[in-house]
Amino acid sequence: MRVTHWVNVVAIVIMVGSGLRIFNAYPAFARKGEMFCCYPFEHKPIPAWLTFGGWLGGARHWHFAMMWVLVVNGLIYLTFIYLHGEWRDLVPRKGDIRDSWQMVKFYAFKRKDHPRQGKHNALQKTAYFLLPVFGALAVVTGIAIWKPVQLSWLTAMFGGYVWARYWHFIAMLAIVILSVIHVFMVFAVDPYSLTSMITGNYDPSLSPEARNARPFYHLFPKRAPATPAAPPPEAT
Amino acid sequence: MSTDRRDFVSINGIHRRDFLVRGSGLVSAAFLAACNSRGPKAADKLLKYAERKNLVVERKLFRHTAMDVVEAGAHEAGNKLPSYFIAPTVPVWDESVGGKWALEVSGLVGNPVRLTLEDLQKLPQVSNRVNHYCVEGWTAVETWTGVPFTELARLVRVDPKARYVDFQSFDDNYHESWDIESAMHKQTVVAYGLDGRPLEPAHGAPARVYSPVKLGYKNTKYLTKIVFMPKMNGGYWSDQGYEWYGGT
Repeated sequence: MRVTHWVNVVAIVIMVGSGLRIFNAYPAFARKGEMFCCYPFEHKPIPAWLTFGGWLGGARHWHFAMMWVLVVNGLIYLTFIYLHGEWRDLVPRKGDIRDSWQMVKFYAFKRKDHPRQGKHNALQKTAYFLLPVFGALAVVTGIAIWKPVQLSWLTAMFGGYVWARYWHFIAMLAIVILSVIHVFMVFAVDPYSLTSMITGNYDPSLSPEARNARPFYHLFPKRAPATPAAPPPEAT
Repeated sequence: MSTDRRDFVSINGIHRRDFLVRGSGLVSAAFLAACNSRGPKAADKLLKYAERKNLVVERKLFRHTAMDVVEAGAHEAGNKLPSYFIAPTVPVWDESVGGKWALEVSGLVGNPVRLTLEDLQKLPQVSNRVNHYCVEGWTAVETWTGVPFTELARLVRVDPKARYVDFQSFDDNYHESWDIESAMHKQTVVAYGLDGRPLEPAHGAPARVYSPVKLGYKNTKYLTKIVFMPKMNGGYWSDQGYEWYGGT
């Protein structure tokens, strides 16, 4: 489970970097002889330092190799959270919208106390639910622009090659935005969760809920321990 | 045993802050080194392996019945179709050097032929309005007129041992070899017309291979020879590291 997280980090970074390098070969969406309505930066390349693969052919090899890692890793993750019932912590349910709003209010200092939560707060649940959704969209639109003739029915479902390529880009953008927020929140709100991402252990007394933590607020737990340590057994 | 606060802020004796500082340092260094790079040399073998496996998947996926479909409302690229060649200037067939242009169809065939442009035009003709898929990511809609490749194959009586086809040109020895199934796809033509006009030198005159089932760079322009072969023969861009298959 934690392994899939870190495999995902590597796979997504390489997929995004190589994808942007491929995009830079034609940093636009318009079909030749047409205009494209919905991208304000047509023909403006992505800064090279955000790209990976060095050249178009190299980036394509990385992209077409890493896509299998991403897909297999995603399937392992989904199977795992299904078998372990952990999907229950992520699938949205009634009240999540209200709870998300409460979290927004808390982060905006409009609410003093951290809303009660389960394993994840409502905003986290939304983010962790959306990420695999956008991941799946990226994969399916990716297949649609990889095989626009052999799987033309799939490409047509997204409105043809030009639009499928656009949705592929949007899915990437959504994944990048969610990931950037995720990494920011880890460091700004709950750096202690890094332990759980690596070892699986999590100390609930350090949770943002327990610390009433907002970004950069209450990063450190209160000095006094909540419960006195159990006295060591007397040696007799 | 006392429960020390340090117990849960240290992992295997490494203090968390140290871990964070060193870890993020390492990660950022790795990322900076990787930016705009080709990636580690050691990965080349893995990438080659992935390409070989992808080739198997892509050939399995190939269906003769799968057709390119142009979306409703798509406009012809017309003169916005990029022209492209390897030579420093537009390659034009020079009759004073090479004599009258003719297309040689040979290799593993029962009846090798040399066809002049007039011969080609006498063969059954189709016009396909299809997408052009460039490796760079752009597409263009054009109508290509020419001989269906299957007609040429019938004419020369292809040996069943032929598994690949090489398309060769007079543009600085440009060539690309294909799997035979892609060549035999219904939408593959040896084109001598574009958008209702004779093919111009900018787009591969006198004749070029054109199929939406292959990326642009596989569609050799300025044809001189079509050779049926038992083995693949690389290609101009394939030999420089682009995927040999280049199928859509």
